[in-house]
Amino acid sequence: MSSRTSVTFEGRRLSVSNLDKVLYPATGFTKGDMIDYYARVASVLTPHLAGRGVTLRRFPDGVEAGSFFEKRCPSHRPEWVDTAPGPGEGREDGIDYCVLDDAPSLVWAANLGAIELHAPLHVASDPDHPTAMVFDLDPGPGTDATHCAVVAERLAERLADDDLTGVVKTSGSKGLQLYVPLNGAPRVGLKRARPTYEHTRAYALTVGAELEAETPNEVTTTMARAARTRKVFVDWSQNHQHKTTVAVYSLRGREHPTASTPLHWDEVATLAGGTLLAFTAGEVLDRVDDLGDLFAPVLEDRQSLPDVDRSVLDR
Amino acid sequence: MPRAVWSGSISFGLVSIPVKLFTAVSSKSVRFNQIDRRTGSRVRQRLVSEADGSEVERSDIAKGYAVRSGEYVLVDDSELESLDPKSEHTIDIEEFVDLADIDPVMFDKAYWLAPDPSTAKPYALLAETLAEAGRVAIARFVMRSRQQLGAIRSVDGRLVMSTMNWADELVDPSELPGFDALDGLEVSDRERALADQLVESLVAEWEPEKYEDTHRERVLALLERKAAGDDEIVTTSEGGDSGGEVVDLMAALEASVEGRRTAKGRHPSSSSDAGEEAPAERQAATKKAPAKRKAASAKKAPAKKAPAKKAPAKRKAASAKKAPARKSA
Repeated sequence: MSSRTSVTFEGRRLSVSNLDKVLYPATGFTKGDMIDYYARVASVLTPHLAGRGVTLRRFPDGVEAGSFFEKRCPSHRPEWVDTAPGPGEGREDGIDYCVLDDAPSLVWAANLGAIELHAPLHVASDPDHPTAMVFDLDPGPGTDATHCAVVAERLAERLADDDLTGVVKTSGSKGLQLYVPLNGAPRVGLKRARPTYEHTRAYALTVGAELEAETPNEVTTTMARAARTRKVFVDWSQNHQHKTTVAVYSLRGREHPTASTPLHWDEVATLAGGTLLAFTAGEVLDRVDDLGDLFAPVLEDRQSLPDVDRSVLDR
Repeated sequence: MPRAVWSGSISFGLVSIPVKLFTAVSSKSVRFNQIDRRTGSRVRQRLVSEADGSEVERSDIAKGYAVRSGEYVLVDDSELESLDPKSEHTIDIEEFVDLADIDPVMFDKAYWLAPDPSTAKPYALLAETLAEAGRVAIARFVMRSRQQLGAIRSVDGRLVMSTMNWADELVDPSELPGFDALDGLEVSDRERALADQLVESLVAEWEPEKYEDTHRERVLALLERKAAGDDEIVTTSEGGDSGGEVVDLMAALEASVEGRRTAKGRHPSSSSDAGEEAPAERQAATKKAPAKRKAASAKKAPAKKAPAKKAPAKRKAASAKKAPARKSA
């Protein structure tokens, strides 16, 4: 039987249920622990979700049981949970996604068993112009996050040639993601102001392909699984209006309650040196206490993307 | 016509009475099919391998018992079958007891025992005898390779058997939270008298027909309206807000979390050893990032040093599985 409790949190009233339910059998991490995590991480997480329609990945009975992606914001949501339109279900006018831009909304979603939050790279009010570009570094069979870190450092070096900086986060699963802030840079010289997804996709593929050409045995930009063995897949295709990437600070539905965690570049170097890193919920909260939001530049930095030949996307 | 779920005979002393079992209760829950919203076609579940997503044939699926996380012992159906109780197709009556002595919590599912026309007489005799003695026959039998306990009684000259839960399957309420609040509690005579009065005022004859599944009725009504093209949608309200005590979220979490947290540190996760992600100092094989890369990195260095926590250097064989990373859609 479900044990529901009516609670108040930051001026909102909602009900939470089954706080003692174990979601991660390997560690005994419960739904109450997850709600506690999202309530505490909200101050750094919500700015990254504000204005964005998130896709919930719900694990109602824990990480060892089934999960499903939920794009449409459940109709039984409290009226104070905002929504934003987005693509879905083949409908012209799209569907309403949840916008989790305050702590009570996050707690409400956590109570639904939404362990994972996946967010688009744009805000709903401007769906054609991403606020950041992502290189999703996915380790193929025989490689792991340390190989991804080597690639992340090489990407950072290459991006510096174009006066671009980025921030790395763990995916919370196996790989890393390098985010390059854009945030609608003001017009500078002849550079385009607000890149489109086609632009970020073409740029990410161009740079990824350069790395692939330098070290074809270590890096691939090819989606096909067979091409990924012992290589890091630089997934440039995540730069798409219809795609989402796991949100920073989102927990993952893995064996342990690891979260997508922003890394200091020193830590990326440590990783590249061969030491694996993973951060679970409690460690992430400690880091936020000590370091603040290492991912804040992704929202704040305004950068321009150099023009690139879009025809690379047609290959 | 409903099909018999079991057939065999009641064995009672030297008498053997052939019977067929029919379920006595048919669920009337409204059943839905899953439909692809885009095409209107039915959807189907496939069994796929976690390793590579390929579809797995039924014949390739074995039973696995998890001995520890990620490690399984596989067993064949034939191995389990050899352990199954022999199905004798008999319902062996062992004793007769008073119905009032059996608490309803013991009862599981009910079946009608239909007689074989050729042996209707011994059937009728048993039914009549049970009714007159006011007794229930306790019997053992085997159904679907499970040993079952049954309670046979007579209802209007027909036999009905309820399968029963085993005594050791019952949950001991003293292990559940809340009941200890009753220990040593006393109520006054006045309170008792009031409660008695209230109960007396609500005493009625038991008429099961009075009670209906009103939710099912509402669901069916909605479906009828929609089928008739009247697209009125019933909106529901948030259930949690109706009355009850309201507490602060953090207090509710404290109540749930506090016990474990004091036992395990700030968060259960923080003391756990590393998962499949965390482990292992990798050996020299990994290429070192050239020093010049530091230049690009230095730009971004915030004032504070990140505590580069190292995960414990152990990698469990079982957790080194190579499941493909899942992409978010």
